Amino acid sequence: MSDFEPKIIAFLCNWCAYVAADTAGIARYKQKPNVRVIRVLCSGMVDPSYVLKAFAAGADAVLVGGCHPGDCHYISGNFKAMRRAPLLKKLLTEMGVASGRFRLEWIAASDAPQYAEIINEMCEEVAGLGPLSPSITE
Amino acid sequence: MPNKKIAIFTATGCRACENAILDIHYQVSSLAHCADIIFWPYVAGSQWSDLEKQENIDVCFFAGAIRTAGDREAALKLREKSRMMVACGACAAFGGIPGLSNLNRSGMVGGQPQGTTDNGQQTHEEGKPRGLPPLESRVSALSQIVKADYFVPGCPPPQNFLWAAIQSLVCEGISPARLTFAASRLPEAISQAVSAGILPPKGSIFAGEKAVCATCSRVKEEKRFETYKRSYQDYEASGRCLLEQGLLCQGITTRGGCGGLCTAMGQPCRGCFGKAENIFDPGAKMVSAISSTFDSEDAQEIEAIVDGFVDLLGTFYRYTLPTQCALLSAPSKDLKHE
Repeated sequence: MSDFEPKIIAFLCNWCAYVAADTAGIARYKQKPNVRVIRVLCSGMVDPSYVLKAFAAGADAVLVGGCHPGDCHYISGNFKAMRRAPLLKKLLTEMGVASGRFRLEWIAASDAPQYAEIINEMCEEVAGLGPLSPSITE
Repeated sequence: MPNKKIAIFTATGCRACENAILDIHYQVSSLAHCADIIFWPYVAGSQWSDLEKQENIDVCFFAGAIRTAGDREAALKLREKSRMMVACGACAAFGGIPGLSNLNRSGMVGGQPQGTTDNGQQTHEEGKPRGLPPLESRVSALSQIVKADYFVPGCPPPQNFLWAAIQSLVCEGISPARLTFAASRLPEAISQAVSAGILPPKGSIFAGEKAVCATCSRVKEEKRFETYKRSYQDYEASGRCLLEQGLLCQGITTRGGCGGLCTAMGQPCRGCFGKAENIFDPGAKMVSAISSTFDSEDAQEIEAIVDGFVDLLGTFYRYTLPTQCALLSAPSKDLKHE
């Protein structure tokens, strides 16, 4: 599986994680090109359905990037994301989606190097896991 | 109008759907005015040869999931003979409880039951069951094997919807017992068709449109969980929303029409009507609904609450795993693409 290129869908908060991703690009930090970024207004609006839909549509991993707790532009949106993530992760694990394939990360607007690091790390991990195969075979 | 020929059959299931058909009370006698039961092994002791004799059947009520090669064969045979095929009950409509065996990935589903060989021939060893058909590699709903024209969900389907389906598909409005009590809970397009005596649009689901919560009698207030309880554990006998009391009630994601029968009796909704309209995935919706009730802003506390949950997959997709789970379901034979 040496030529496997994982597809990662990243839901990034408009106010911090997306800015970090933007900055990481401008600053030319080395990062893997396997990420498809979807800008959302808040990590709190990323419904578990979005994540499941991404996996169902062929994503190998999903990243949700939001502001650090307490820094939410909408005051408490990222707490909503924080409450959802563990339960969603549990459901995904039961479905046979390895826990490394779904990540919730707090990335501040100034965290461009960290953003690049998270992406590279995730890419490497998912490349090791291989493509997400549907657990039920026809 | 000549009497309609009907067939009623259960594949892998508990036959409660067939009992539910018997349980339409006095309507049974009016059913006899407009229908001939050609094939009903459970009640009439019919043989497959009775079906072979007929050129065709008007309406087939098919209950139960497709789990064995025999079930598949029955579904194909009945589809071939029937003008209309009704997936009756949660198993036929969504896969139902038998569908949960798809969770077992160790190969049990694809394995062979005792007493059969790979080609399905009988073996004659002492003390073993004889001639069981081989199992399919996975459990399917009826609509994943053949086209199903109508759906009557529920485990078992409530009498009013079953009677609405029989009334509109079999009696086509000629029955003297006019239907009002179910029509009020059906979506408008179906209820109009039922009372006008014409066939509802293909693919209609004989159930409500909104979620169970819309008709549930319990009082909903601010929802906050500190602990999570399983349905056998204590709950307050008050009229408060069960989800608020920490019980995993799936009324939020489940298609209504039942009128909240279970929730009224203190049993959390188990989701036997399948997902409500416009919900992408019932499990994701439940995760969203439950997690928003966690009364904490601390990551570790949230983890601790989540640790208390067991078997999310088996709970959220209790009746719908083969068809409505976005990640684990196989596509169905969609009528729209015909």
